[in-house]
Amino acid sequence: MDTFLWVVFPYLCLATFVVGHLWRYRYDKFGWTTRSSQLYENRLLRFGSPLFHFGMLGVVGGHVIGLLIPTAWTDFLGIDDHAYHLVAVIGGLAAGIATVVGMVILIYRRRTVGPVFSATTNMDKVMYAFLGAVIVLGMWNTIAGSILNLGGEYNYREGVSVWYRSFLAFQPQPELMATAPIGFQLHAFVAFVLFALWPFTRLVHVFSAPLGYLTRPYIVYRSRSTDRLGSTPPKRGWDRVG
Amino acid sequence: MTSSIDGPITAALMAGREFFTRTEVSEDRRSLYKEGGREGDVFYRDRWSHDKVVRSTHGVNCTGSCSWKVYVKDGIITWESQQTDYPTAGADRPDYEPRGCPRGAAFSWYTYSPTRVRYPYVRGVLLEMFREARNRLGDPVAAWASIVEEPERAARYKKARGKGGLVRCSWEEAAEMFAAAHVHTIRRWGPDRIAGFSPIPAMSMVSHASGARWTSLIGGAMLSFYDWYADLPVASPQIFGDQTDVPESGDWWDASYLMMWGSNVPVTRTPDAHWMAEARYRGQKVVVVAPDYADNVKFADEWLPAAPGTDAALAMAMGHVVLREFFVDRQVEYFTDYVRRYTDLPYLIRLEQMPDGGARPGKFLTAADLGHEVENAAFMPVLMDQAGNPVVPNGSLGHRFGEAGLGRWNLDLGDVTPALSLLGGEDGEQRLLELPRFDHAGGPDAAGGTVARGVPVRRVGDHLVTTVMDLMLAQYGVARPGLEGDYARGYDDAEAPYTPAWQEPITGVPADAVARIAREFAQNAEDSRGRSMIIVGAGANHWFHSDLIYRAMLLLTTITGCQGVNGGGWAHYVGQEKARPVTGWAQVASALDWSRPARQMIQTAYWYLHTDQFRYDNYDMSRLSAATGTGRFAGMGTADGLAMSSRLGWMPSYPTFNRNSLDLVDEADAAGVEPAEYVVRSLQDGSLEFACQDPDARENFPRILTMWRANLFGSSGKGNEYFLKHLLGTDDSVSARETPPEGRPRDIRWHEEAPEGKLDLLVTLDFRMTSSTLLSDIVLPAATWYEKHDISTTDMHPFIHSFNPAIDPPWETRTDWDIFRTLATRFSELAKEHLGVRRDLVAAPLMHDSPDAMATPGGVVKDWRAGECEPVPGVTMPRLIVVERDYGAIGDKLTALGPLMEKLGATTKAVTFDVGREVDQLKTRLGTVHAPGRASDGRPNLEKAISVAETIMTLSGTTNGHLATQGFRTLEKRTGTRLADLAAEHEGKQITFADTQAAPVPVITSPEWSGSETGGRRYSPFTINTERLKPWHTLTGRQHFFLDHDWMLELGEALPTYKPPLDMTEIFGEAPIGEVNELGVSVRYLTPHNKWSIHSEYQDNLFMLALSRGGPVIWLSDRDAAKVGIADNDWVEAVNRNGVVAARAIVSHRMPEGTVYMHHAQDRLIDVPRTETTGKRGGIHNSLTRIMLKPSHLIGGYAQLAFAFNYLGPTGNQRDEVTMIRKRRTEVRY
Repeated sequence: MDTFLWVVFPYLCLATFVVGHLWRYRYDKFGWTTRSSQLYENRLLRFGSPLFHFGMLGVVGGHVIGLLIPTAWTDFLGIDDHAYHLVAVIGGLAAGIATVVGMVILIYRRRTVGPVFSATTNMDKVMYAFLGAVIVLGMWNTIAGSILNLGGEYNYREGVSVWYRSFLAFQPQPELMATAPIGFQLHAFVAFVLFALWPFTRLVHVFSAPLGYLTRPYIVYRSRSTDRLGSTPPKRGWDRVG
Repeated sequence: MTSSIDGPITAALMAGREFFTRTEVSEDRRSLYKEGGREGDVFYRDRWSHDKVVRSTHGVNCTGSCSWKVYVKDGIITWESQQTDYPTAGADRPDYEPRGCPRGAAFSWYTYSPTRVRYPYVRGVLLEMFREARNRLGDPVAAWASIVEEPERAARYKKARGKGGLVRCSWEEAAEMFAAAHVHTIRRWGPDRIAGFSPIPAMSMVSHASGARWTSLIGGAMLSFYDWYADLPVASPQIFGDQTDVPESGDWWDASYLMMWGSNVPVTRTPDAHWMAEARYRGQKVVVVAPDYADNVKFADEWLPAAPGTDAALAMAMGHVVLREFFVDRQVEYFTDYVRRYTDLPYLIRLEQMPDGGARPGKFLTAADLGHEVENAAFMPVLMDQAGNPVVPNGSLGHRFGEAGLGRWNLDLGDVTPALSLLGGEDGEQRLLELPRFDHAGGPDAAGGTVARGVPVRRVGDHLVTTVMDLMLAQYGVARPGLEGDYARGYDDAEAPYTPAWQEPITGVPADAVARIAREFAQNAEDSRGRSMIIVGAGANHWFHSDLIYRAMLLLTTITGCQGVNGGGWAHYVGQEKARPVTGWAQVASALDWSRPARQMIQTAYWYLHTDQFRYDNYDMSRLSAATGTGRFAGMGTADGLAMSSRLGWMPSYPTFNRNSLDLVDEADAAGVEPAEYVVRSLQDGSLEFACQDPDARENFPRILTMWRANLFGSSGKGNEYFLKHLLGTDDSVSARETPPEGRPRDIRWHEEAPEGKLDLLVTLDFRMTSSTLLSDIVLPAATWYEKHDISTTDMHPFIHSFNPAIDPPWETRTDWDIFRTLATRFSELAKEHLGVRRDLVAAPLMHDSPDAMATPGGVVKDWRAGECEPVPGVTMPRLIVVERDYGAIGDKLTALGPLMEKLGATTKAVTFDVGREVDQLKTRLGTVHAPGRASDGRPNLEKAISVAETIMTLSGTTNGHLATQGFRTLEKRTGTRLADLAAEHEGKQITFADTQAAPVPVITSPEWSGSETGGRRYSPFTINTERLKPWHTLTGRQHFFLDHDWMLELGEALPTYKPPLDMTEIFGEAPIGEVNELGVSVRYLTPHNKWSIHSEYQDNLFMLALSRGGPVIWLSDRDAAKVGIADNDWVEAVNRNGVVAARAIVSHRMPEGTVYMHHAQDRLIDVPRTETTGKRGGIHNSLTRIMLKPSHLIGGYAQLAFAFNYLGPTGNQRDEVTMIRKRRTEVRY
């Protein structure tokens, strides 16, 4: 069971994530979108969206630090556990609260603003459920584990993070997850479900964040390439003239 | 860096770009230059690429007839766009193109839409019974009989109509059921129990002709549409003796004063509206008369918001002003000269002594009254010259037919200057006339009373006469010195009809505005020599008294010399009436190449009887009589009037007799007498009866109705709920009370129980689901306008447009032509055995544009049934003609052009074209049929729709210059004037189908119409009449203001007058308009046309649904809404005795108080819930209307008041209706 939950299932999800994105990009380029609803409602979105997205950036950054950086590295730098956790909890809480508040605003908006609700697909609803669950469980782990100290002391940097790195290195150590508190297990499990759903939802827009716009001049001239005149390749049987 | 962009941060970011990319960034950091990488364009380029473009148009009776490009890609129709290759309209004016509107641009949605009919469907219950009976009996005809002749089985499928349950079936099976039903009906009841309905040939002539030709070949009756739609202006035959000859829209440019009167040009003439907008830049003044703030009002310089249905009062007051200021106070030479030559104003009217000593206008003084012994003397009215001598001028009806009139049927007055008025004669004699008025508010329509006005008179022989002009001035109340009587004392005399002040309380339009507009209208006509125009339409025409409204308006355009002048006159646009190649279409559609005459029925009267609406009349015809009447209508129900019109041969009547018209000939043979004589004898001894005298007897029911290009039950069926109840026998919402015994028709047999479900078979051909298909027993899948060959023309422009298939008909759909080929072929197989060759007695009415129109001298009505004269077929009763029908050869005849073509020629408006040369050409161009031993052998082959189009264009003057010239030469013999030069420039020109595929092709000037297009001139009607002195097709040969038929005198409508809308409170007990009670508020209920649909088409189209509110809606004013607590978009219910409608409210301040609009033809397919009132599915706009026949529309056999198909007949008017409207209280359920 542990092997399935913490080896087979995560790899399946990861595979779906990767292959799904390739498939989506190949066959549904025009569906590769945020499905923006800004046209329908702007007032709530103005607050909800930045709160959620910038909060999310913090959360993602926190996960990168927490999951990918081994304890040994921080130890080497002389950062002790207490200091590490203080930064993680304060930073994590701030980012987490921004994310949750943003999410509440966005969900409230989505449900109560008629045109926005009408533009909500079933896939959106499923995605919201899982995304919401991941975030709530993550917050719960942060609050319950680090602040309230419920369920005893658990240092995820010794457990979950190690498992995660082992998983990425294709030498999975499922026993590390099996002994983790149920909150972390649930968080990880639901997160992998979300990864599996990812390519089939609007979340694909994560990979299309318009970073290039920051530095792009306003006018883009795109001349024909020298080897091809039209936008389609020349058909068989047609000779190029001139 | 030359300058920074949007501040330093942006500039820094842009500058940083160079670190991330090797592509070149311009020095000013504003542009980026890349090479290649355009693969992303492929999608967009592909999205707008196509394989071919096909020219086609839309056949939707919108009058647009716009040429479109239809784009096809991978065999799929993708979209359409407007064609832009119209020939120029002239160097000094704008062009026609681009033509089209959002509705047309949305059409391609239908091709693959969910509403598309893809396969043949049959009502499931019926199909099961048919299959069972067919297996059991082995013969489809016997199987059909076993169902319809068995009341319980018949009721089973009739009650299921409109409740779903259509099942898919094969073409073979559907065709067999169709054929079996027809064979059985013809044998059991007679061919005239079968009817076909397809309107507006001009919108797709081949498709129209397909079923019309089938119906005519078997002896079925084709139902008229123009009168039924209430689009037919009865005033047009009354005044012009011609039906709806109007200017093309390009001629609006020529007008310098334009009134839009009850015609919302931007909404209903969208592709033509630009002419109106452009002409304003040329200095044209635009005046709108409309009860609401309609879309066209925003283009107008002035708006006269006349109350609904009061247009005649407004027009009469304008007439008063024009007559006063331009004919009495001052004479305008142009006007005086015009009315002397081209109108009946100088003609002499005999005055009749009234029993009480007064006098009233009687009949035209004719050559017969003067004792002249010439041919047709009774049809040669007389006028007086300046010296006071009676003169019989050329050009009257009496000259139009017969040897004596050859070369004399023209408007040449020679040296005679007619006297317009007899005022100022030596003896100064005058008479006080009793003239009827109908304007008294509150009273029943008939209780108007009279007004006494003196006219100058003379004696001619024993006759006391005056002129029409003198009568007209008396009628309009225009006082002249020396004349006694109750004349208006001035424009501000509110008591005297028809002054500006008199009309103000009626119309709500200020008196001074009316006087000013009238003055401007006439002044402009004087200054521009007739370039004042009135665009008039359904807003004024759909009333019970529309003929009076139009006559009052047309007086304005006629006495000011605007008719027959480019840029002037009436411009009546109500439906796509003008099939320009009319002769060819008529021959093919009525199958006149095989047998004559075809049965053609006035549809309003047909449904008035067969949907039993006559049982709910609650009034008799005398209600409409004038106070000056003789009481001839006393005790006559409208159905009695209709029966009289039928038996005197005025109007057609099918089913004609209460026996099978095939059996009648056999019976006559058995009795050894001529069939006509046999019928007359049997009618006299009472053994035979007209079917219209007992419409509820089962032998007189209509049995089969086939519709194509039509939507009777979603669009045109006035009294929709009566149709559902009596004709179809399914659920209905009629709550009207039947007429109590004392008020019932006198001559019509009354059945205590009204029959329900009279019709055995309802067949509809369509490409989309409509109310009609839902109610049908057989639904056949038709091709769309992008899937067939056809041709289209319109009143609005002079071009012939072609339809062309962009794709083949998809799924199991077929073109109309192919469908009727399929049906006729199967029918012939069954009929060969069951029917064989039969002889059919056709009763044909007395026809306009023929000597029949001289059947009633003086318009004096004599009824043979009352013993006032002998029944003589073709004179005092219908013509009785035997036609042989080879029922086994119907399929052969349908697809071959028959031999009567070259034998009898083709006749339009009394001009017969010799088409021998044309038939020979067609044999070469179309090929001939190879079928040795059969009737069709060696005849031109009409198997393909495109061949039918070629035939229509080859046999018409407008599309064949040789025939146009030949027709004018024929006409020249009659008129003695020069005409042939009008077409000579095109004598060698034949417009072919290939021409119409290449570009829109303008037509050729032809005697089929009254206007000239010679030398690229814009079409305006009657220019040939005014410029070449060709008479109008009327009694005097001039435009008529005075109508002296007995019935017109009885109705008090000999002269233009004003009658208010029918009083529904008085007649039917509806709540008076404005009353608020627990049932809601009572309002006038109007059904005008809509911006987002054309009839029922497009209102179900996804694009149009998105542009409009969608689903059934009723517009009402904020004031009415406030009275009963209705808010915008609330569900409301409108209820009157005729039915119930459920809809959403659109509350708008642009609506006048007391009036609601439910736009015409919101079909019951989109968002129609169950009603609160009945619990049944909500109705359509016609659920609240019903048929009301006006007796003056039934007159026939007399000069211009004689029948021709869609020329004259009772209108299916519906504007006089009222309804209660209220907010819905209960939950909306479907």
